[in-house]
Amino acid sequence: MEAERPLFIPVILGTTRQGRMSEHVARFVFGELSKRKNVESELIDIRDLSFPTSDAGEGIKDSKFSETVARADALLLVVPEYNHGYPGLLKHALDTNLKEYIHKAVGICGVSAGPFGGTRVIENLLPVMRELGLVTIFWDGNFSSVQKVFDDSGTLLDAAYVRRLDKFFKELIWMAKVLRHGRESVGIEEE
Amino acid sequence: MVDSGKMICPTCGVEMNCHAEKIDYAAGLAEPDAIDEDLGGVVEEFHTCPECGQTLARRSV
Repeated sequence: MEAERPLFIPVILGTTRQGRMSEHVARFVFGELSKRKNVESELIDIRDLSFPTSDAGEGIKDSKFSETVARADALLLVVPEYNHGYPGLLKHALDTNLKEYIHKAVGICGVSAGPFGGTRVIENLLPVMRELGLVTIFWDGNFSSVQKVFDDSGTLLDAAYVRRLDKFFKELIWMAKVLRHGRESVGIEEE
Repeated sequence: MVDSGKMICPTCGVEMNCHAEKIDYAAGLAEPDAIDEDLGGVVEEFHTCPECGQTLARRSV
């Protein structure tokens, strides 16, 4: 029997802000996800993509970024909550693709300095995910008071996040598998 | 003429699965003649290869 192709689930760090605590979250999430059997991952930092701001959308595609998203079975976004919303440059980066997202799973880790773990930014992202063709899951990662979750070097200080992420990953991986099966085997109905 | 048959994966040579249709409103700005008037935009189909997993898009007819 042919071995199952591993799932490919890139982690996207969705902020370019200097001093961002979300980088610790993204590195931690990427490390934990990379430990899963039959899952490959890659950490994408939108700071490295350097999209111009004189244009927007598919006209400014980064071929490597688009190819990575096209190859993905799911995306995992790590997103800080800035003034209750998502970073504009994350939306700017996501908008450079469209076809690449169709019928793929997405999980979101919200990050905040306050007590709500990015719940508001996650809620604000859901309609965007839907329009892009991504399929959201009902587990989130919520990193509250993130300045207390990691030390300055990025070492995790609260081990409970390992177990929380485990549940989140299980749901994301299940959805990624189901959607891969659907993309490859379940056709749209024709009259 | 636009092809409406099964797409064949250029890598694996097998039939691809058509699993989605989506309206591209922006494409209609550049190509107004391609707009489906009932739907208000250009409709694209998405086909995925069951062997290698790659997805290709084409205009729906």
